[in-house]
Amino acid sequence: MMAYSEDSREIKTSMAMPSLRLGRHRGLITATIAFIVLMFVVSGLSDVPLGYYDISQMATSGATLAIVAMGQTLVILSGGFDLSAAAVVSLVNVVLASMPEPIATSPALMALVGIAIGMAVGAFNGFFIAILRLQAIVVTLSTMFILMGISLLVMDKPGGMIDASLSDLLLGDLVTDWVPMSVALIFALLLFWYWLKRTKLGLAIYAIGGDFDSARSAGISTRLVQFLVYVIAGAFYGLAGVFISAQTGAGDPLVGNPMLLQMFAAVVVGGTLLGGGRGGLTGSVVGAYVLMVIVNILLVLNVSAYFSTVAESTILLLAVLSASLHRKSVLFKNLRQLGGRWAARREGILPSQVLINPKKLVLPKSGKAEETAIPTKADPGYLVRHAETIRYALPAYICFVLVLIATQFVLGNTLLNLNYYNSLIVLSSFLLILALGQGTVILTGGLDLSIPWTIGVCGILLAGMVSGSNVALVYAVPLVLAVGLLIGFLNGFGIVALGLSPIVMTLAMNGILQGVALVYSGGTPDGFAAPLLREFMTARFAGITPVVPFIVCFVVVAILLLGRTAFGRRVYAMGNSERAAELSGIPVKRTTIKVYMLSGFCAALVGILLTGFSGQASLGMGDEYLLPSIAVVVVGGALITGGRGSYVGMVGGVILLTALQTLLAGTIIPSSARSILYGLVILGAIIALRDRKN
Amino acid sequence: MISTIRKLAFGALAALAGTALVAPAVQAQEKFKVFLSMSYIGNDWQAEAANMLKALAVHSSMIDKVDLQVQVAGPSAQKQIQQINAMVRAGAKAIIVYPISPTALNGAVKNACEKGVVVVAYDSIITEPCAYNVHIDQKQWGIKSAEWLVGKLGGKGKVVMINGVPGTTVDTLRIEGAKEVFAKNPGIEVVAEANGMWSQAVGRTELSKILATRPWDQIDGIWMQAGCYTANSMQSEAGIADDKLRPCAGEASNGGRIQMLPVGTEVDGANGTYRPMGAPRWSSGSQNFTGALALKLAVAKLEGKEIPALTDVAQNIVTNENIKLCKEGSWAEMKDGCNVFQPAIIPNPGWFASIYSAETPEVGLNAALVGQPED
Repeated sequence: MMAYSEDSREIKTSMAMPSLRLGRHRGLITATIAFIVLMFVVSGLSDVPLGYYDISQMATSGATLAIVAMGQTLVILSGGFDLSAAAVVSLVNVVLASMPEPIATSPALMALVGIAIGMAVGAFNGFFIAILRLQAIVVTLSTMFILMGISLLVMDKPGGMIDASLSDLLLGDLVTDWVPMSVALIFALLLFWYWLKRTKLGLAIYAIGGDFDSARSAGISTRLVQFLVYVIAGAFYGLAGVFISAQTGAGDPLVGNPMLLQMFAAVVVGGTLLGGGRGGLTGSVVGAYVLMVIVNILLVLNVSAYFSTVAESTILLLAVLSASLHRKSVLFKNLRQLGGRWAARREGILPSQVLINPKKLVLPKSGKAEETAIPTKADPGYLVRHAETIRYALPAYICFVLVLIATQFVLGNTLLNLNYYNSLIVLSSFLLILALGQGTVILTGGLDLSIPWTIGVCGILLAGMVSGSNVALVYAVPLVLAVGLLIGFLNGFGIVALGLSPIVMTLAMNGILQGVALVYSGGTPDGFAAPLLREFMTARFAGITPVVPFIVCFVVVAILLLGRTAFGRRVYAMGNSERAAELSGIPVKRTTIKVYMLSGFCAALVGILLTGFSGQASLGMGDEYLLPSIAVVVVGGALITGGRGSYVGMVGGVILLTALQTLLAGTIIPSSARSILYGLVILGAIIALRDRKN
Repeated sequence: MISTIRKLAFGALAALAGTALVAPAVQAQEKFKVFLSMSYIGNDWQAEAANMLKALAVHSSMIDKVDLQVQVAGPSAQKQIQQINAMVRAGAKAIIVYPISPTALNGAVKNACEKGVVVVAYDSIITEPCAYNVHIDQKQWGIKSAEWLVGKLGGKGKVVMINGVPGTTVDTLRIEGAKEVFAKNPGIEVVAEANGMWSQAVGRTELSKILATRPWDQIDGIWMQAGCYTANSMQSEAGIADDKLRPCAGEASNGGRIQMLPVGTEVDGANGTYRPMGAPRWSSGSQNFTGALALKLAVAKLEGKEIPALTDVAQNIVTNENIKLCKEGSWAEMKDGCNVFQPAIIPNPGWFASIYSAETPEVGLNAALVGQPED
């Protein structure tokens, strides 16, 4: 199984260079080795040896994550991204737990219902992504909100019953004391995958993930393939939902949701490349079990509760890092380069050490010739020059106006109410700042998942340092902002120097920061914001809160930073093609580090302002900001793969979503309907953004 | 491994002491291996509850009986299932658990019970019949809080509801209870409802959204699971005088209780809106000592006593009539009826003050703060 070819594209090359074959599976092999080592640690350190019963129990509790990660891998291989996977698991769970008698007692029917729900959701996603060509990440984000709402409609609190027949079937043994059912099921799914990979469809999945345009040029029906990928992945999620139902014996509308980030971690640990084209489902299964076994490791080592996220993150980083340790890896390339520079310095032949008089190219100075060569065109006008920006930014603003009108209609007291606009900007300020950081990272094609605990750590640090003293703000604020920059620097450094994928690096950073915050605060952060900071966020002068003019300035600076500076142009260039950017002389590595530092800085600023707004800092204060920070960027017209988007558009995205939440908060609509509405509006906004040229 | 070292060290100490006193009895008795499986540790409530539980485990009445290990599962039920299985494997005699889900753990819990492990859940619920539960009646919480608010408003007025985390049993039961009461009083109109996620910070954001279109003079009362402190602070910032504050029914943060004290009460360390305001309040919390009580019950069960399947913990309802400032916060002082602590000792107003129980004289304020038991 280990040596099995995971990548069909390599078949030709592997015949020529057999050594490459193994290299391609380094991710899978390392994950497997890591898993075996961890299992030995568990069995070696515990007093009782691992028996069949223990193994079968571990196989069963990791199965849901493994199955759902397999589906996600399929989507990622095709170059997509599916945020709705975990919500499908919850939905299937609650639907099955409220099934009527004749279906509930038949395991086969239950499984069919679960898989059918998954496939239906997959078809929904697939329709918008493959047929309407919308961005996968936003479509699935809206689907996630809609599904969460539907789950709450089906069951507003945990309850219901899953008939024991389902549990007996899925949790028992296929061959008594020899093969647990969960292992058999995962093997069956892997066999399905090996078969699928051999088919034309399997080849096409790798092809469109590797290079979408080439695949289309080669005659692959990309739409159909994409659509099928989401439907098949949906079937996997549905099956995972069936499995968790069997395992828990009841329904819980929130049961699957926390699996979202775990699932991506499992995929990455398993050696699949985010962005598509390389990897496989086998790795993800191993990755899922690595993550589950960590729980046992922490227990046998008796790792302190506060350090558990740090330990998890470290294991995640080590697993991914060791998979990338080979001669051609980024880390070794960087080390070689560093060695080269060092050698050159000792020999004194480094460009900076050698006296070179650069000869500048001098063009013949003939003003007339130039004028004749380029006929002066009339200024095409603002609208034409900025057509693209307006085209992508406008829908968010139009939706915003619609929400405004709706608010006036439903709640009244809106359109001509200064207080409304003031509150809207104060509430938007956090996301406006985060959008610059996250937006810039996304423009370069990355993603920053460390935002929640960067906010948390910075807020707690600030509150602890100032403890209500205005004077202390003078040194505390710069210090906390510097901490944000440092966090960003470490993120950037890990990505650039160690060659880690942004998702892995920032996800691990988030876990480490959580541990830092817990240890620093001892679980209960104390201290509170200085009065000046509190007034900055909450007082009113002539009806306006001081943070409002600050945010206006921030927005102007941000627009100039991305639109008018060399830094901004480099960001766009890197997002369009990192290779081309590097060849054009852009210091890609340095710029990447700067981009993550900007994001860390923005998160730190939000931590400070949020502390001022609430008057104190709390541990989970940043948790609510991760998904929105991504959503506003994409709703504002940016492309998640980078290179396209403007800060003006993101501002539109922020005020649209904040205005929508304000409208919903003012009503007594139940949370289930709120979640559905929220998802539908995001979906509507991106349908309006649709690129009709494609 | 670490626990083995600790055991060895303890053994050595006991052997030394044994030359003088009754150590043989201590040595002879095997300590109960007890695990705590927490879900999330990102808030004050969880941290305090865990501190109190840890404090009880090192109290002189317990230290010779239990060997406690703490693990965190995070927000994922899958992980907690795996964790409980691993604890059973590691030879747990009892597992104290803050369950992530009332239903999802049932399989793992049932399996643990079959192996003879005592499983006790605190605060939240496990529906598996073999598990023991220790918590307050959340529906009653909803009913009592709403009844107080209705009474305070004279049965008539506009109410804003800030709820907890949607889809959880606690949140649903509380809302159910409150809405039953509101429905019986046609004069009460719920004008806005939002999810405060049991966080003061989110509560503030949500209330700000509501206030964007609805000024304070169109709100007569607030039913807010966590964050009455924040609601009072926001009114103060909006220029509303202390004696005009809207009645608010909610949880038991220390900041909110300090605000209940009559204006002019002397407190150490008051600042900003963290000061006595005479705010009209109903305050009762999901009790923080339930974790410690769960441990106590588990040990009692292991020693062969019978314990009830459900320990329905009484609520300590605090209103403006019975609010009383503690000087030091010892258990004895709380027994005499004090229920809120000096801001100088508790600088964080979001800290939960619901730590007193007649059942747990081993743990007081120091236990909740730093995990140190009473003498």
